[in-house]
Amino acid sequence: MGVWVFLLLALGVLAQESPASPPPDLSPEVFAIARELRCPVCQGESAAESNSGVAVEMRRLIAEMLGEGKTKDEIKAFFVDRYGEWILYEPPKRGVTLWVWLLPVLGLILLGLGLFAYFRPKKPLPPELLEEAERRLKEPQ
Amino acid sequence: MRNWLWLLLVLALGGLFYWGMQRNPKELPSVLAQERRPAPDFTLPVLPPYREEWGEALRLSDYLGKKPIVLNFWASWCYPACYEEAPVLEATWRRYKDQVLFLGINTQDKEGEALRFIQQFGLTFPQVFDPRGRVGVDYGMYGVPETFVIDGEGRVVVRHAGAIDEATLEKYLKEVLR
Repeated sequence: MGVWVFLLLALGVLAQESPASPPPDLSPEVFAIARELRCPVCQGESAAESNSGVAVEMRRLIAEMLGEGKTKDEIKAFFVDRYGEWILYEPPKRGVTLWVWLLPVLGLILLGLGLFAYFRPKKPLPPELLEEAERRLKEPQ
Repeated sequence: MRNWLWLLLVLALGGLFYWGMQRNPKELPSVLAQERRPAPDFTLPVLPPYREEWGEALRLSDYLGKKPIVLNFWASWCYPACYEEAPVLEATWRRYKDQVLFLGINTQDKEGEALRFIQQFGLTFPQVFDPRGRVGVDYGMYGVPETFVIDGEGRVVVRHAGAIDEATLEKYLKEVLR
């Protein structure tokens, strides 16, 4: 009995510590948009995950703009206008960054072609060539 | 014929890798400086030691277009970069006082700690307080310290990320003072 209570308490503690859950003051919608924006200071993270000052301010701005009735695209455009397309967590599917999306697919296609060419069933040798080879083998050196 | 194709593919890939290795991943684009956009305006409270001379609040557009402006974002917690450049900024400001306006934006900081920093370096150019860091987002700021040089027409011409040294700052100033 005591063990179970302890386990349940321990699980409760674990659940509270999850850093991914949004703080209660901002709506999940804010985090959904922030997740598509890069945190300027900590470039590997999105503005939703980071707790750096800039990311916190970005979330606050997103919340404010949502309050003003702005759409997700308008909010993203606001940040692109200031930081350039760099701020988008996923590179846009056009222009130079289109290659980021296309190259892996092209690479896979090339790999598939290469594998196909390598493992393709070989055509049997023409009989006259085989006969010729066998005749040469039988010939005394 | 097929061998040529392979050679071409290898060369193309090699070229791509070489190009990739020459690129600096830490280089951060600044839309403002690249497009020489007009400096975004803001109104921020002036920190107490500067109120007598500069008023309670400072509006950037009151000073834009008159002479070049050096806008420096900093914070007291930004060690060591902000501590390295503070004396450089103060010394350069004293030399160029009549030709250029230096303006410090204390960003995402506590007022008490900001005041201690100001006292430590005896900064005499005006300092404004932006605890939320809202102005930084308008400037496309990545992190402190960051310095923006605005020319006499009010356009952003330079964004310098990281601590600035005297030679670099002088070079930027010569550019906008021409």
